[in-house]
Amino acid sequence: MDIFGTILAPFKWLVSAIMVGFHDGLSTIGMSPANGWTWTLSIIGLVLVIRAALIPVFVKQIKAQRGMQLLQPDLKKMQDKYKGKTDQLSRQAMAQEQMALYKKHGTNPFSACLPMLIQMPFFFALFQVLSGISSAKVSGQGIGAMSAEQVKQFDESTIFGAPLSASLLHGSTAGGEVAVWILSIVMILAMTASQFITQKQIMAKNMSEEALASPFMRQQKMMLYILPVVFGVGGINFPIGVLIYWTTTNLWTMGQQFFVIRRMPTPGSPAAKALAERRAAKGLPALPLLGGKKVDAEAAEAAAAAAVEAKTQRVQPQRKNRKRK
Amino acid sequence: MHNSTAAVVPRPSVVTLGSALRRLGTVFWNLPRNILILLLMAYRKVVSPLYGQVCRFFPSCSAYALEAITVHGAVKGSWLAARRLLRCHPWNAGGVDHVPAGHREWPAGRTPTIVVLNNPDIYLAAQPDGEGRSAV
Repeated sequence: MDIFGTILAPFKWLVSAIMVGFHDGLSTIGMSPANGWTWTLSIIGLVLVIRAALIPVFVKQIKAQRGMQLLQPDLKKMQDKYKGKTDQLSRQAMAQEQMALYKKHGTNPFSACLPMLIQMPFFFALFQVLSGISSAKVSGQGIGAMSAEQVKQFDESTIFGAPLSASLLHGSTAGGEVAVWILSIVMILAMTASQFITQKQIMAKNMSEEALASPFMRQQKMMLYILPVVFGVGGINFPIGVLIYWTTTNLWTMGQQFFVIRRMPTPGSPAAKALAERRAAKGLPALPLLGGKKVDAEAAEAAAAAAVEAKTQRVQPQRKNRKRK
Repeated sequence: MHNSTAAVVPRPSVVTLGSALRRLGTVFWNLPRNILILLLMAYRKVVSPLYGQVCRFFPSCSAYALEAITVHGAVKGSWLAARRLLRCHPWNAGGVDHVPAGHREWPAGRTPTIVVLNNPDIYLAAQPDGEGRSAV
């Protein structure tokens, strides 16, 4: 028994159970259980469940990014200290101090690799479920939570005439080659386009000037050109069902990014300025800063002190029940 | 052990055979460690740049793993690296988290690069020339 399969088994069960759940639900509201669109919507439902479960992680990261503004003065001080030191060891020393600074303020702009790692077993499991459908059908077995009949049903179901278990490179057992070709290419293009738009949006609108000038930017740009290649290679190898999952998750990322850029932009970015202007036009107060642990109290204190200063005279504390005009 | 006795008696052929065997043994003993080191280096060269910085720790998880395996060997190093990975999640504040010191001693000037880069606070201060912090 291979280790990989053992680890994936529970994920395979979960992935197939969520799909079957959606499939049963859609069938009860009147969709044909054997229809390819019912299974397609089940896959989309699976994406929605996984991505919705990851929202708290994402929100946490956004809040941490907001908190970053509180430590700008400290960060600036540290950058000045290492100004002009370009040797690797000095850079490392700076990175170390920066991390210590984040820790001190209880905020961290990096999300850790967990959100990325956590999606991987689900993707592999889905891939195994979908690519194993054809052979499971031949041997008359179920996969995970899918019964043998459901496997058969899935294998025979098509959208636009393309079987969900067929892939461009490995063909299909049920015909519809042309449809598979067209559908695969359309989805590869959709994935590439959505990824391009997401990335361009982030770079054009949601990055502060410091971030744009950092070496990190080069890696971001590299992603812009490497991922389409990954999509292309994957797109011709993976079955249509996997491509549906992949395209949907990319579209979700794009939508999420649009929302974030509009509602919770990175401080110091053009999008943040645009949001501030929109709020000012509506007569709303500027957004408070979120994130940061103990620093919040200090910041509030400082703000209070500034407010007192602005009024030039301190307002006498009053009892709450005293009548005011 | 028997190599040291062989070294006392002037028999060059045996000495070379003994030391060759010992060297072979060392190579085999270090094989798992070196395979892991190569894998980690490849990962850091090829895969890491794709994601950019995501780690909330200094050193990053892959740098930590590389140092841990270099210093503590394949078994203990992997254990330390796995524990670090479990610590690295969005609900941990992150910060500076060094690999615990090991018992290995490095010859002067031959400290592995990863150990130096992961401990800039120690090695930057120790730098004799004007490249370090002395210019502050």
